[in-house]
Amino acid sequence: MSAPLLLTVRDVHAGYDDLTVLRGLSLEVRAGEFVALVGPNGAGKSTLLKALAGLLPVTSGEINLDGERIDGLPPYAIAARGLTLIPEGRRLFGPLSVRENLELGAFLPKAHARREETLRTILRLFPILQDKHSAPARLLSGGEQQMLALARGLMARPRLLCLDDPFLGLARSVTDRFCQAVHAITSEGITILAAGQHVRRLLRLATRAYLLEAGQVALTGPGPALLEDPRLSQTLLELGTGAWQRPA
Amino acid sequence: MRSGLAALLGMGVLAAVPPALGFHPYYLFLLSTAFLLAAVASAWNLLAYAGPISFGHAAFFGLGAYGAALASLGGLSPWGAIALGGLAGAAGAAGVGLLSIRLRGAYLALGTLACAELLRGLALIWSEVTGGGAGLAGIPALPVLPWLPRVLTEGRAGAYYLALALLGAALGLFALIRRSRVGLAFAALREEEERASLLGLRPLPWTLLAFALSGLVTALCGGLYAHVVRVVEPDLVFSRHYSILPLVMATFGGLHTLLGPAAAAIALYLLSELVLHPLLPALHQVGYALALIAVILYLPGGLAGLRRGGRRAHP
Repeated sequence: MSAPLLLTVRDVHAGYDDLTVLRGLSLEVRAGEFVALVGPNGAGKSTLLKALAGLLPVTSGEINLDGERIDGLPPYAIAARGLTLIPEGRRLFGPLSVRENLELGAFLPKAHARREETLRTILRLFPILQDKHSAPARLLSGGEQQMLALARGLMARPRLLCLDDPFLGLARSVTDRFCQAVHAITSEGITILAAGQHVRRLLRLATRAYLLEAGQVALTGPGPALLEDPRLSQTLLELGTGAWQRPA
Repeated sequence: MRSGLAALLGMGVLAAVPPALGFHPYYLFLLSTAFLLAAVASAWNLLAYAGPISFGHAAFFGLGAYGAALASLGGLSPWGAIALGGLAGAAGAAGVGLLSIRLRGAYLALGTLACAELLRGLALIWSEVTGGGAGLAGIPALPVLPWLPRVLTEGRAGAYYLALALLGAALGLFALIRRSRVGLAFAALREEEERASLLGLRPLPWTLLAFALSGLVTALCGGLYAHVVRVVEPDLVFSRHYSILPLVMATFGGLHTLLGPAAAAIALYLLSELVLHPLLPALHQVGYALALIAVILYLPGGLAGLRRGGRRAHP
């Protein structure tokens, strides 16, 4: 008995103007899973997340969220269907206050209706955001900004939370608190698809993981098992030398 | 909160000015023009709060002036006519917003400027309706409100208080929006549209709302102006002044602040008319240009930035 499929990606090609990064990528995420995406730079982790959120056009293939086709929809329509992307590099609204950034996270009507409740849970887990609630986001330290970006993503109460390099610059204790926050906010657990450089940390957390290589899935399995697979270190060592830098 | 109190205090002081000046008609007319410009600067600032930097607010001022003048000449009461002019301005502004939705920066500036020039041209050539270059004359004066003390409504004092009330309404609207969910959406779209859309904000309706509200206030000013001056001409109400001065004044006073644009508008206009104009009749507009250059070079946050501790690079 497995949980229902939440996200299916079938044979997707996508990329930038003159550079196809995803070359027939297929994967699926079931409700309640924590799925990790690992792979060398340029393998397509960020590109996939951007394509899911509607920031990059899908040239062929299909993306379905809970049975509804979402490729081709604009980002706000995808967000309204319950897919929230926390892009890499924090991406806060710098001049706006911490509180305003959090409120913007819960802008959609469903999240807005429950924003006080969500906010209480989040502030209990990240008390620093309470202390600095009226400070402009750009004045926070790097780690605090990362916490705020994660908290803003949780404010949306998404069905699928996509994280691009979420733990960059975060202490392990903060990572743990983030996972607690996720579990606290919904008893059934928000489904997470996370890409990142912290391969060990991600794979330990993940219920399942995909190793991407050259825009396709090279390997899949439970997180810890993937960590033991010799092909993982082989791929990361061979291709992680900078020759495959992702386009800026 | 503090700027709200300052606004109320300022309003109170300004309300006491006409008796202090002995209801001198010239000064009252000068001040009411200053208030209308301040209200337009505030409306311009409301649009800028949501992102778009307009070079075409003359379009909305002129739409309001012509709309109100035509309705009034057609027999509608002046109050109804001004309201109708306001709606025409709001609709026109939403149209301009729709036309320029994909434009950014200099292209948006040129697009809005082109819309204003287009409407000025239309007012010039469509003479059966607009009276062409000669414009429309004989617009009825505003009726005296019988339930107000006569001293407040007679002569230039009536226009003075109406312009002041309109300025108060413009500031109140901006303050209300800035504290609301609408203001949050405006600020998010202004700072980074893509980020905002990832949170589920659809840019189009919010941008159109900002255009419409800004156009509404600007056009109400145009409608009031038409009923005070009682004549509208293309070069008068579609003048590029109404496009450029609000931008200069809002930038000088402090973009996105509540009181900066309005205070700067009143100060710069009075300075220009009372000091520079007698000294340099042909060149007094240079003052606006110098003020803008000085602020851009030395005070990126505008005058309001001084209060927050001097130089603040604007994002």
